Order: sequence, then C-alpha cells, then structure tokens
Amino acid sequence: MASKSSLLKVILLGDGGVGKSSLMNRYVTNKFDTHLFHTIGVEFLNKDLEVDGHMVTMQIWDTAGQERFRSLRTPFYRGSDCCLLTFSVDDSQSFHNLGNWKKEFIYYADVKEPESFPFVVLGNKVDVTERQVSSEEAKQWCLENGNYSYYETSAKDSTNVASAFEEAVRRVLAMEERGEHLIPTDTVNLHRKPRSGASCC
Amino acid sequence: MADSACPTDSRRCNYFFLYDGSKVQEEGDPTRAGICFFYPEETPLEQQELLCGQLAGVCQCVSELSRSPVRLLRLRGSKFAVRMKDHFLWAFSCPPDIPDVSVCKLLDQLISLFCFYNGPIRQSYQLHSRADLALRWARYLTHLQGGSSELHHIFSCLRTIDSTHIDPLLLLKAALILQACQRCPLVLAGCILYRGRVVSTQMPPDLTVKVMVHETESYSQQDHRPVANGISSACGTPSSSTGTTPVFLTPAELQALCCPPVNRTCRSHCTPQPPPRPRKSRLLSRTLSDTPPSELDAAKLDPAPTPFLCLSDESCLSPCPSSSQATTPEFSPLHQSENPCTTDAESHDHDLSNEIASCELEEEVVRGKMANGCSKKVELRMDQSKVEARGDLILQNGNGCHTNGYHQEPASDHHSDQSSGDEPPDTSHLKPLSNGAEMPDKEEKKKKEKANIKKDNQERDENRQANMKNSGRKIEVKDREGVGDGEMRENGMGRGESGEGESSEEEQVLLPRALYQHRVRALVLALLVEPHFHSDQAAVEEVSHSSLASLNGLEAHLRTSTPGGPGPHGPYTFAHYDCIQNTLTTNLSGRSVAPQDRSFVRATALLHSHFSQTQTLQEAIVRSAGAAVYSTRSPAQETYFLQHATSVRNSGIPNHLDSAFSLPNKARHRLLKHGVNLL
Repeated sequence: MASKSSLLKVILLGDGGVGKSSLMNRYVTNKFDTHLFHTIGVEFLNKDLEVDGHMVTMQIWDTAGQERFRSLRTPFYRGSDCCLLTFSVDDSQSFHNLGNWKKEFIYYADVKEPESFPFVVLGNKVDVTERQVSSEEAKQWCLENGNYSYYETSAKDSTNVASAFEEAVRRVLAMEERGEHLIPTDTVNLHRKPRSGASCC
Repeated sequence: MADSACPTDSRRCNYFFLYDGSKVQEEGDPTRAGICFFYPEETPLEQQELLCGQLAGVCQCVSELSRSPVRLLRLRGSKFAVRMKDHFLWAFSCPPDIPDVSVCKLLDQLISLFCFYNGPIRQSYQLHSRADLALRWARYLTHLQGGSSELHHIFSCLRTIDSTHIDPLLLLKAALILQACQRCPLVLAGCILYRGRVVSTQMPPDLTVKVMVHETESYSQQDHRPVANGISSACGTPSSSTGTTPVFLTPAELQALCCPPVNRTCRSHCTPQPPPRPRKSRLLSRTLSDTPPSELDAAKLDPAPTPFLCLSDESCLSPCPSSSQATTPEFSPLHQSENPCTTDAESHDHDLSNEIASCELEEEVVRGKMANGCSKKVELRMDQSKVEARGDLILQNGNGCHTNGYHQEPASDHHSDQSSGDEPPDTSHLKPLSNGAEMPDKEEKKKKEKANIKKDNQERDENRQANMKNSGRKIEVKDREGVGDGEMRENGMGRGESGEGESSEEEQVLLPRALYQHRVRALVLALLVEPHFHSDQAAVEEVSHSSLASLNGLEAHLRTSTPGGPGPHGPYTFAHYDCIQNTLTTNLSGRSVAPQDRSFVRATALLHSHFSQTQTLQEAIVRSAGAAVYSTRSPAQETYFLQHATSVRNSGIPNHLDSAFSLPNKARHRLLKHGVNLL
C-alpha cells in the first residue's frame, strides 16, 4: 500500500492573512488556531489520503503571503504538482491579487505549460458575514483564467476544506493520466529496441 | 567508543579521571578500587593508580591546609583542573598552553553534563555499573572536545549556526517555533539545533550545551538511516523521530527557566495562583505577552509528582537543611559580607593564596561558570574569603552578570527583596533542628556561614516566586522538619563526616525533568519539559502540532541555504566572544593552521586568560616580533584583533609611531561590518 502511494506537492499561495496556514492546519490536524503568527518563509505538512482509489501522500506547502518574505518562499515553488490560489472573501484586494500570485508561481515554479497546469482557487473565510467578493465574481475569474475549480472554504468552521484539497489531488491525478498517454510518444523504450545504432564509440 | 574519543584532538585532554576516595579508606584498600573512570582508558592500571593516588593525596592535603577546595594543580609539564565533592575527585589535565580558566570551565562542564543526564553522582554510581558510566563519561568527554575549533575550546563557547549565511528571518522563525511550543504549560524552554549547531535557544548557554549532547548522539545514531521524515504522515501521532529522555536540572537552572528575565517584573506583581494547573494552553507565547505566573511554580510546590522531586524542591527552596539553628543572630553581618562594600578586597594577589608554589587556586575565574549557578557561587565566595580575598572581582560578577547574566540580579535588588519582609518567619522555623550540635566547632561555624549565604540566595529565589510564597513556605517547612538530614541520604548523597564535601550540598540537589526531542532530518527541536510531559498525550500532540509544519519548513530553508565559504578573509583576523550568550564570532576558518593564525590563537588564549584573572583589565596588546594582537573587553564581550601584513614598527620603547597603537582604531572600524561595535 505504502509503495503505491505517491507524493504530491501542493502549494498554497495568496495574500498575507487570507488563511493559508489555517487551511493547512485545519485539513491536516483538524485544528484551528486564532493566534497564528505570520508564516515566515514556507512550512509544510504531509497528509495521506485516498482519492478515487489512489493512495496519495499530499505534501501541503504553506507559504508566507507578505511581500517581504518573497525571497524566502519563491525557491520552494519548483516541483509543485498543484497550486491552490487563495483569497479571502472579505478582502477584495486579496482577490484582485490572484492574478499576480498566478504569475509569480508560473515564473518561479518554471511551469512549462501554464495553460494546462492545475490551479484550484479557494475563497476562504466564508464564515464571515461581510463579504467583499461575491461568489459569482470569483467563479467568473476562474472561468476566464483557465476554467479552474473554485471552492468557498472556511478553515474556522471546516467548510469545504477537505473537498478543496481532494479536488487538488484529483486535478493532479487527471493531469498525470493525461500525461501517461503522452509517454509512449516521446520516450524511447530501451528494452524493445535492441540498439540498432550503438555506434557512438 | 572511548578509544575513538579524539585521535586528532587528543592534545586537549591528556588525562581525565574520577576517583572515589570513599572506596579507599583503609591502608589495605587498593587505589584501583577508587578509580571510577580513567581516560585514556588504555593507560596501564599501575599508572592510573599512581596518578590518582598522588593527586588525591595532594588535593586532600592542600585543601585541608588551605580550607579551600583545590581548583588547579600544576604537575611538571601539565596542569590539572580539579574538582572535589564529597569523596569524589575529578581531575582533568591538558597541555599548559590552554588557559587555566578554559581548563577549569571544561571540567565543570563535563561534570555538570554528567549530572544533567545521570543525576547526582553518588546516586548514579549506586544505580549503574562503572562500566556503563565509563561509557558515558567517555561520550561526554568526546563531545566537549570534538568538533569545534581551537578558539571555541578556549572560550568553551556554544557552537552556533553561521548566521551570516542565512536569512535573519529564519532565526526569527526558529524563535517563534520555540515560543509556540511554550504555549503548552508543561514546556519549560527549548532550543533549535541544526547539524549540531544552535539556531535559536531559550535556555542559558550552560544548559544549551548540555542539551546539545543528546542531540549529537541521536544524530550520529540516525546518521545513516534513510530519511523518511519528510514523507511520513504528519497527522495523528507524532512521527517516530520524537523521543524523551530524563534529565536533571539544578535549582538555579530551573529558576532561570521559570523566570525569564523579560517577565520578572510582571511575575512579581502576579497574585497567587491556585495550585490546580490549568490544562488549557496559553494563547500567546510567554515572551510576547503578559503571562500568568508559571505553572511550573505550582508544580514545584505540589507535593504529589514524585517524592524525589519534593525532597529536592524542599532543599532548594527552604532556608537550609541543617545546623542553621543559630543563624538568626549571625545573619546580618554575614549577609553584609556579601555586599560589595564590605568584602575584604585587600589581597589581590591570588598567588599568595596557598603558599604552596606548585599549587594555584583559581576559583574566582571559574566560579562564574559552575553549573549550579548563584547559590554555589556565593558559597565559594565565603570559603575563599578566608584564604584569598578577591571579593571585589567576584562581586563584579554578581553585579554585572558577567557570566550567568540570565539569573543574576544586582546586589541592590537582592537587598530590596530582603527588605520585603518575608524573611523572619523563615529563620524562626529553623530552630528545631538538632544535628548541628554534634558537629565540631569549626565545622559548625563554617556550615553556619554557608547556610546563611545559602539562605540568602534561597531568599532571593523565593522572592522571585513571590506569587507562590505563602502557600509554598508551609510545605517547605513541614518537609524540612520531617526529613531533616535524611534528605541528603535519600538523594544518594551520604555526606562524608569529614569536611571534604564542603564544596556544596546545594549542587547535589537535582530536579528531575525531561528532555523532549523532535528531529526533522538534521534539524532538532529540543525542549525541557515537565517529567510527566510524555505521558500527557494531549500535551505531546499540542506541541507536535504547533511545531511540525514550521520545523519542516525551517529544515527546508536551512538545507537549501548555501553554506557559503568563509568569504573574503580580509587583511585581519578577529574573534569576538559574547560572554552573555557564550557565543563566538570569528573570521578564522574552522581548523586552519596557518602560522599567523596559530599565533593569533595563542595570543587569544593568553589574553583571555589575563582577562579572566584581572577583572580591571580592559584593553591589552600582545606582540611578537612580527605581529600584534589587540584585545578589548567589556563585561559582556571580549574582542581580539590582528591586522595582517603590516610591518610592525617597534622601536622597543614607547613611541607614537609604533604601529600597535593604531590597532584599536583599526579594530573599531574593521569590525563594524561584522556587527561588532567597539565604539
């Protein structure tokens, strides 16, 4: 079982204070701490889960949202399998910054095909009554930017947190399946071809 | 294991042994019966006996003549740092070019390390075999000697992470992790280590050193294990890389942990808290917020946890265990003698001390570093004032937190504490004790003095725990009356009837706590916790949850930060020693042996030795024909500076053109960019 489990790197990005750390903690340890300090740099936790019959270990990377921590967090974008763009529904600025976060991620993660890279958008803090970003607005943005899945979550009362992360896994798995079809076309099977042209030396 | 102790570093320790004089009482008793541990272990037994027997004899003789414990002996080409307690004698020898202060400090470190992990010495030898304990001595010896550069050895300082090559925010991150852990009330303090170096610590340096031994051990054990940590499940139970080991703290250490300097004022204003310990965690960390009085205090006075704990606490907090019935009248004058103004400071010549040329007592220089902190210090002060009075020096220490800055308070503080009026009830409780009557006169007097001073300190300690004062004292007194002298025996400390065990009984009181360790690859979170921490599932989980993600992240950061070479060396060499944090900053690369560096190291050793002997010395230059090393110090730091590639213009007489005179200026300017401010 463990041998079949694969490690997926999922990264949470978004403005400072939108609740990235809380989402991770809620999902992995099922705890909510109102007194979390700013994340400095990056942090991560692992979580084993089963999605559609696949055992996966999701490694959730939580990042610092503040600009001043930028140089600390960006080196860790590489190798991500999925990016969770997070904003807070009670903070329109954090929503407007989603585009910048996406750009930053694509740049530093060195994503080869940004169009097909799996992003999931999370609107956190839906437990708050004074919303600044409507559900429609958010969905519209997701549609225009690459038809991303959108989840409205609350780390505080645990709304939708698990399903958002599971969706991230599904997206990655779907990508991989698509990728597997491609494998035969651009790889060389060394066993099948009895090296006809081994004349280099 | 012990044989591999230090093939390369063996220059440092020639001999180390622990000799138990109580095993060799009769004429017929072989000396070997008293040898508990001897390093190097391959030394022929006859030679071991010769050395142990002779040294033990000399030390016994000198200490009886001088009525002061021997600290340092010179024997032919080598010198021995010596420590005597009860019937035990430790001796540590090293080449003569290592400063006296460093040797003594090293021996003290070694002994306190042993006690930290094994408890009181006598007790350990009752519980474990000599062979087992020999392994441990060897391990501690290896640890203290290994790894670091010669400069580190001179200062016996902590090995810290090279902060010039990592983002300072990561240091903040480490500090925040520690604070988050402290939200669990069972956690006293912690430190974070990476590859055997300190990243951040909440403990006094002495304690951090001790904690690091366990870290290094477990690291070498795990060294070649596949790294599964980053991948293993993080939820639910903590990952397999956590562990807890029992440790023993001295009362002073515990005191320092309970009352971090930051919060002292807050704490003294706190109202008494009811004993039931709040299980709810604090919402804000200690250093960030006003916190209620430490739950630990409650724990200390709670008679429930373990009988051992009770006894120890009692003797730690109560005025004194024995022979103090007559303390009240004598209290004031003796107490005064601790005051800077009244100490006899006439004799500054420490060489006069024993009138034995080959034997130097240098207690004052090492006193500050003794593991058991202030109480012990004061005791020695008293012992010593009879023989050699360098009280002025000592008192500077007491005032200026030269060494133990963590928990020392200025004398004035101390006095105001006393005037707060909770002392009379204490002394009145002391009367019923009886065993003092059996003591010889001198002995008694001496003990009395000690008792007074000790009381004095305990007084201070008690005052710090002002919140617990009232309820606490009752328990103490009851305990003391009930247990009396027996407590020492209970602690495995049957005190010798001779005066040999003079040095301290305070020291023998050790309080059991636990060391929790969480490893993420090369990163270790080490926490000193209450003994029952690991059985408290909720607490373990709380700590684990609050720290795991950040530890993972910090480890990733540190792993990826480029270590970077020593950088451009610059036309100078410097070493900057922070006495408070016990850390060293230098641009001298690890184990370099360039001739110029050698002479720098030697000059540094020499100057450091001078500084430790002469408290009034502030600046000094030592020079050879080709180089000059400038050094300056304040109560908090010592700085050493060598300018390369200058022709030393030295006419042999004082001359303003002499290039050495430009050194202070150069040092000030050059070192600014290293964060060393000499202005």
